[in-house]
Amino acid sequence: MADSFIIETDELRKNYGPVEAVRGLNLQVPAGSICGFLGRNGAGKTTTIKVLLGMARPTSGHVRVFGLAAEAQQASVDIRRRTGFVSDDKDLYGYMTVEEMVRFTAAFFPRWRADLQQRYLRTFELPLDRKVKALSGGMRTKLALLLALCRGAELLILDEPTSGLDPAMNEEVLRALVAHVASEEMTIFFSSHQIAEVDQIADRVVIIHRGRTVVTGALEDLRENFRRIQLVFDGEAPEPALRAPGIERVWRQGRVLTILSSAGAERILDEARPLNPVSVDVVPVTLKEIFLETVLTED
Amino acid sequence: MLWYKSWLETRWRFVIGLGLLMLSAASTVVVYPQVVKLLPMASNVDLSGEIGRRVAESVELSRDYRGYVWSQWFRQNMTQLWTLFAVLLGTGGLLAQSAGGGALFTLSLPVSRNRLLGVRAATGLAELLVLAFIPSLLIAVLSPTVGQTYGAGNTLVHGACMFIGGAVFFSLAFLLSTVFSDVWRPLLIVLCVAIMLALSGHVFPDLARYSLFRVMSAEVYFRGGGLPCLVLTASTAVSVAMLYAATRNIARQDF
Amino acid sequence: MLLRPNPSSGVPIYLQLMEQVKHAIETGALRPGEQLPGIRPLAEELVINPNTVAKAYRELEHEGVIELRHGAGAFVSGNARAQKLTDKFRAGQTIVAAAVERLRARRVTEEEIRRLFEAELAGLSKRGANDG
Repeated sequence: MADSFIIETDELRKNYGPVEAVRGLNLQVPAGSICGFLGRNGAGKTTTIKVLLGMARPTSGHVRVFGLAAEAQQASVDIRRRTGFVSDDKDLYGYMTVEEMVRFTAAFFPRWRADLQQRYLRTFELPLDRKVKALSGGMRTKLALLLALCRGAELLILDEPTSGLDPAMNEEVLRALVAHVASEEMTIFFSSHQIAEVDQIADRVVIIHRGRTVVTGALEDLRENFRRIQLVFDGEAPEPALRAPGIERVWRQGRVLTILSSAGAERILDEARPLNPVSVDVVPVTLKEIFLETVLTED
Repeated sequence: MLWYKSWLETRWRFVIGLGLLMLSAASTVVVYPQVVKLLPMASNVDLSGEIGRRVAESVELSRDYRGYVWSQWFRQNMTQLWTLFAVLLGTGGLLAQSAGGGALFTLSLPVSRNRLLGVRAATGLAELLVLAFIPSLLIAVLSPTVGQTYGAGNTLVHGACMFIGGAVFFSLAFLLSTVFSDVWRPLLIVLCVAIMLALSGHVFPDLARYSLFRVMSAEVYFRGGGLPCLVLTASTAVSVAMLYAATRNIARQDF
Repeated sequence: MLLRPNPSSGVPIYLQLMEQVKHAIETGALRPGEQLPGIRPLAEELVINPNTVAKAYRELEHEGVIELRHGAGAFVSGNARAQKLTDKFRAGQTIVAAAVERLRARRVTEEEIRRLFEAELAGLSKRGANDG
């Protein structure tokens, strides 16, 4: 099971008319992982998620969820039977009450977890007889999460699941997600603008920028491999022609040359030492810095 | 549960439609005695021109209760009200709900789009079926109160023709609801089509024979001919084609 | 007993956890033979990924600090090993304390000291990568 990918895309492209929302995306999410999906607004996160669930069809490329082709109609129904989803707008049926929404959703999933339903109704403090249109944004998010978590699904696809939640409820939700992965056969694929929470619970990360993957891998590997190398020179910092692989960004500011490397800091240092820097600093890079540096570059 | 959801979404349109139709049916029966009293005075009215011709025709028909019911209720009141609600019930659906109606939630359920559309269409048609029969049956029930009788068998034939013929308007609204994401454009477009169809019967009298409204009011049957089976079949085919086109639209739609 | 790791600190979470466990053993909060919290309950309590907890436990077992008994859970190693760890820890502490003292005497600030160690470790870890 560890070798199989729950979600896999291969050169996925999606155009909405002239707009290229996704431009050759390659993505692999292994089973049992919690994978954070980071990207700026408009980078293609929501479009990718819609393609995974059959809400939009790819312009080209392959998409497989549970090994099934996501663009095939019947396969997509099978995928959705095993998947829990929370959309970024968290829209539900305004005219139904909380209780009706739960009963409605439960009817589609034979593996519905009534025990989890009771638990989350309690911990999320959701009033059964209130209509969805009368719920606050935060409560709607919590209801949408409950409806996704109780499906008995093997995969959760969550588009900004904690947006609009206060910090305490935010933590409650993250705790629920961690508990699910620990106790069930479950994979979580979630997009978020909160880098701190990706840092906290994810073990894999995908960063998407302008419709393409710019960073992907296990979070631990990224933390171990990304380094910021700072070289200070006596005079003006040189413009080095560094050929070592793994250089993400290089920038010069007066006497300081800074290099962001995604791997092989050692080899880069070997190449840089002949330039005779006055001092060499090698510092780990946080996920936030990795994100900001890789998405702020121009194409 | 999809049926329940469809019911909740169309509930008020259906109930209001049923209420209005029942009221209209009841009042059609109840004012008959007044109409009878006014009939002799009709000859004093200037009956020239197209409108005059129509009024004269109505007056002639109303001398007989069955004719009165046909011209006032089936051909006029019911056709107009029922068509309006056929169009109203055809609107709505996934595309309209994609901005604030939970369309993405619906699409995340393990249900094919065909099934979603099928349940919505079936619910609307079932409600229209009720609207086609119940108010007319009310006329049969209430007629004795004004000293008349109206056969229930008649109402069944008329109901069937109204439903089968008028399903075209429902299907057209349904099809347009898979093209436009707002509720107003399908509504206005179909109503315009309906009005143009109604007027064209007068502008081109030769085509009046094929008028959809003639089918809906079962005029041929009323005037003693049999059921207009050919036209009924044709309009069923048109409805089915439009509903099929709607499913193709939604199958291709990116949300 | 175990504190929430800081995900944004730059130090991998599993390393932070390992340090905390070793510190707990050193201070006596965890005794030899005592059972550690299960992977899943600990992940839930600290709200971190269970794989991270699992990795920390695996590395601790590799270092001989704890034992993973199949089906029973994680236990602090018996006397001798825990004691060796404590000794190793204490020895390391002494060396580091002396180095920091000398750097402070040269008016190197705390932040600079931290970065010197990081730079040194970054260089060392690449050379010593075969140790796993």
